[in-house]
This record gives sequence, structure tokens and C-alpha cells, in this order.
Amino acid sequence: MKVDIERQIQQSAEETAGKIRDLLAARKVFSVNLISSPGSGKTTLIERAIEALRGKIRVSVVEGDIETDIDAARIRKHGVQVHQINTRSSCHIPPFQLLSALAHIDLDATDLLFVENVGNLVCPAEVPLGEDLRVVALSVAEGDEKPLKYPLVFKTSDLLVITKTDLLPYVDFDPGRVKVAARAVNPGVEIFELSAFSGSGLSSFLERIEELCERKTR
Amino acid sequence: MHELGIARDILDIALAEAGKHGSRRITRVDLEVGVLRGVVPENLAFLFGHVATGTIAEGAHLAIEEQPARLACEACGPTEARGFTIACPGCGNPAVKFEGGDALRILSIDVDDPLPEREGE
Repeated sequence: MKVDIERQIQQSAEETAGKIRDLLAARKVFSVNLISSPGSGKTTLIERAIEALRGKIRVSVVEGDIETDIDAARIRKHGVQVHQINTRSSCHIPPFQLLSALAHIDLDATDLLFVENVGNLVCPAEVPLGEDLRVVALSVAEGDEKPLKYPLVFKTSDLLVITKTDLLPYVDFDPGRVKVAARAVNPGVEIFELSAFSGSGLSSFLERIEELCERKTR
Repeated sequence: MHELGIARDILDIALAEAGKHGSRRITRVDLEVGVLRGVVPENLAFLFGHVATGTIAEGAHLAIEEQPARLACEACGPTEARGFTIACPGCGNPAVKFEGGDALRILSIDVDDPLPEREGE
């Protein structure tokens, strides 16, 4: 006997993401799920954002890593709320771990929540975290073919940030090619090019984050 | 890498549905999995076999129907891609639109017929 089911697998992840979304909506917190390969500059980008938005937007951070609280220690030096998730064997932040982490953050004292996902271009793309904005970062050292090789994360992201543009003279990376590839999988994606090291391009990215954040929190 | 969680989820859903129908054995599970989900069918089948051991789904066949990603090339028109490459297979143009390929659904299960209800009493 055949029993028709027609049900989404991993519904529980969707449901937990929904709880996160509701919680953040109730507290008027704008959340950003930041995804990239390891070493593309996610933490540095968050550090720059904290400094640039200081006095305007109250930033809190949830850091996700397999092991260590190295990133949380970096963020803590900037004097903002931070909670470190260690996922152990998991290659992404599962929604239930983010929901638990949010208990350690004073959401009433938060306007903008950065969730730095585990460095990985594959699995985090599969997992909703109830975010308002999904940002994928790609450093110029990684190569300009990545949107073709890892399409899902580029397809599901609202913003693409090309990082480490100060290294462009030293690498074979064509920003034009990345843009074509990224728009092929995601025609509506907004693309920013910046160097957190030199500061070039940083302000237009942060202005956009600020604008989107204020739209929700005001 | 994330197939284990998916396998557990499939098992939970299948067992719950079989329970509703009073079935004693699940013999087959039909899935639809988009090619962009990054799920390796062999890994999923292996892990499902592992988590199903000792349950009424032990030995069930996991039938995975791949949902292709549909491409539309401005020059060549619509076509299908059964992989991650999103360039047009006809002309190599990467400026294609695509949709689909992201399904992750359990479609149905095959179960043995429930025990006939006892008559009388």
C-alpha cells in the first residue's frame, strides 16, 4: 500500500527558524546571516561594521565556529555583546543553536544582529536562520568562478560582498565575471566590492546595511 | 555532510505516517531531491539504512527522484541541467536564468497493509 505524504524534509529547521524570526521581529532586531568560505574576512567585516556604526546602531554578534572562541574574543574587544556557538562536528549553525544563543544576548539593547556562520559555502546555504538579510562574502583570493561552483549560497543570498579587493593586483580575479555568474543564479542580488583592510568600498556596503536595518527597527 | 540529519528526518516522518496507518513494515520511501541541495544519494541511502536499523523501516528501499534545475538561455531557450553547472549546455553562456533544483520532499512511503480489524466483539 502506498501512502502519499508530500512533506518537506527538515520542517523542524524551518519551524525553529520561524521562531527566531518571530522573536527578532518582536524585539525589532534586524538580523544578518553572514556566510562565506573560511578566511574570506567575515569577522573583520563585522569588526569594521561595529566601529563604523557605533553611536548610530547597536550591534550584537553571534559567532559560529566548529571550535574555539577566538572570533568572539576579537568581537568582545569592540565592546559589543557577543556569544560564541561551537558547532563541534556540524558544518553550519543549526537553527536550534542560534535560538539558544539568543538567550545570551540582550535583544532590547540590539538593533543589528550579525550571525557569523561557520566558514562553508555549502551547508549554511541549506539552513534558514530566520534572518532578515543573507549576505555571502567572497574574497578575491578565492577565484571568480565560485558562484558557478556553489550556486545555492549565491542563489539564496540578498547581498554579495566581494572582499579583499586590495589584493586584486596580485590575483587572477575578474569582478565582472563574478557579477555575471552571481546574477545568473540570482538576478536580484546586490553586489558590493570592498576592502576591509584599506576601507575602500566599505561605506556603501555599510550604508545599505544601515538603511535596511533602520527600515525594520524604526 | 548534512545527509545524516536528513536521513533522521525522513525516518521520523516515515515512522509517524506508518504509525497512523497501523502498518508493521515500511518497504519503500520515495523522495524528491533537487540537484542543488548538495545531497549525495548514495550517502543518504547508506545513512538512512543505518538510522532505520531496528525500526519497521529497516531494509526499506530509498527511491530518490532527482529534481533537475531548469535553465533558460537567452539564445538557446529552456533546457535542463542535472548538475551544479549553470551555464547553458548548448552554448556555454553563463547568463542563464534557472529555477527548481531545490526540492527536498518525502513524496510517499510503501507500507504493508494494516492488519484487518477484528470482526465482532
